[in-house]
Amino acid sequence: MNWTWFHRLASPPHVYTLAARLTPWFAWPAALCIAAGLWGGLVLAPPDYQQGDGFRIIYVHAPSAWMSLMVYVTMASAAAIGLIWRMKVAHAVAASCAPIGASFTFAALVTGALWGQPMWGTYWEWDPRLTSELVLLFLYLGYIGLRAGIEDPQRADRASAVLAVVGVVNVPIIHYSVTWWNSLHQAPSVMRLGKPQMPAAMLVPLLLMLLGFTLLFIALLLTRLRGEVLARERAASWIREVVRT
Amino acid sequence: MRAFFDMGGYAAFVWPAYGVTLAVVLLNILSARRALERSRAEARRRLQMQGEAS
Amino acid sequence: MNHREGNVAQPLAALDAPVPVDIATIATPRREASALAAVRLVLLRDLRLAFRKRSQLVQPLAFFAMVTLLFPLAISPELARLRELAPGVVWVGALLGSLLALEFLFRDDAHDGTLEQYALSGQSLTALMFAKTLAHWLLTGLPLALMAPLAAVSLGVPAAALPGILLAVAVGSVTLSLIGSIGAALTLGIKRSGALLSLLTLPLSLPVLIFGARATQLAIQGASFLAPLELLGALAVLGLTLAPLAAAAAVRISLE
Repeated sequence: MNWTWFHRLASPPHVYTLAARLTPWFAWPAALCIAAGLWGGLVLAPPDYQQGDGFRIIYVHAPSAWMSLMVYVTMASAAAIGLIWRMKVAHAVAASCAPIGASFTFAALVTGALWGQPMWGTYWEWDPRLTSELVLLFLYLGYIGLRAGIEDPQRADRASAVLAVVGVVNVPIIHYSVTWWNSLHQAPSVMRLGKPQMPAAMLVPLLLMLLGFTLLFIALLLTRLRGEVLARERAASWIREVVRT
Repeated sequence: MRAFFDMGGYAAFVWPAYGVTLAVVLLNILSARRALERSRAEARRRLQMQGEAS
Repeated sequence: MNHREGNVAQPLAALDAPVPVDIATIATPRREASALAAVRLVLLRDLRLAFRKRSQLVQPLAFFAMVTLLFPLAISPELARLRELAPGVVWVGALLGSLLALEFLFRDDAHDGTLEQYALSGQSLTALMFAKTLAHWLLTGLPLALMAPLAAVSLGVPAAALPGILLAVAVGSVTLSLIGSIGAALTLGIKRSGALLSLLTLPLSLPVLIFGARATQLAIQGASFLAPLELLGALAVLGLTLAPLAAAAAVRISLE
């Protein structure tokens, strides 16, 4: 098996040019999927039996929540790789993930609250998902805060990487404890449009949105990655070519 | 059309939810592009300074 | 693992009081301290040094007491109502108190270069982190646990519940110290890191809070609090295995 392609991923100039080339290949399909998902979800899908048209918030809430978790795992994985193999590019990936993940966690919380008010009668509900989501936001903010607080870029990379890894180990524990806590207090049955029971007309737009957001994440990541890679390469000659325009 | 915007009475919740998400998506796109531009400008500036120094 | 000369003895030179370990044995060139001896050394050193600044040890306890005082004043003097809130108040107070105490963990050692000595000593930094965290828990976590029944009593908790509360806070505070050591190590040398340290440590401490408060609640009701207590224990064990390792890595990164 030829591993050259893998080793090249550690090379900043290669990553920079590769990211630049790949971005449109994710950005445009993302736009397409999201547009299709929105059309399917807002127009084509029938109203829900219980929640009427209110359920359509799922088409923005679920992708946001999915993003918040997926980005965190990506961030922690990249951080771990950066720590273990001392790869600047991996640290650059982790740094790129943080603002994306934090903003979508925020979106998940807000859309969740807006969904909660008509459904539960309250903007905020301490159910396991929303509570865990809130904790996740704090994990992101802690990561971003730590990066911001350390001046030396290498130390910032490595310290925040340790934090990310410690955080990701804790995420299942936190989620478990929050779910456990919530179950003690006979919380109202969590509103579920159980996926297997969702008719195709409702499910397909959801899957399209999830896919679209994922592709969007990759496009955003690639864009930010280029800037992060540049910032970590102080005097390399390859930069000359790349920033000419 | 009216029914679409009304969202079965849930308009006050559905549309802001979509609005917030759209805002977050747009902000992410703009912010990512701006961050890249800033890094490129910074790199250009550094190269210039090195060019003058050498 | 490569051992170098017994640099662990170096920081001891700063102490005036006699040390209950035979320095000659450990400091003699070519005689290397075992990890256990090093742990014991660091543990005793930290305990000794802390006792010289006893006033510092009182601060987290005073803070805990203060927080407990706030709630009746803010809510109601009725013991019946306070009893309902007691699990939360006790645990939030203990949690915040332990956060406050984290400041002492690395501050002095980072300041006078001892931490660097530890990192360079050739001893397992993980073991030394365990020693420091253990000392820290004995100095802050355990006292907070001893204070917890007092706080509980002031909130109308029946006497029968007190041993359970002490036990729960004692076990929980172990994990809090361990998690805190990671945050403290990551933020070494950052100016005014208090808020950042809280932001890093609190989300990771939530499971302890949840299980601890539940154990306390059950104890107050007179029911068996074994399940949440066991979960607290499990968290402590997990923390004992992983946290010193993470803290050691974080210290090395911070000292680079």
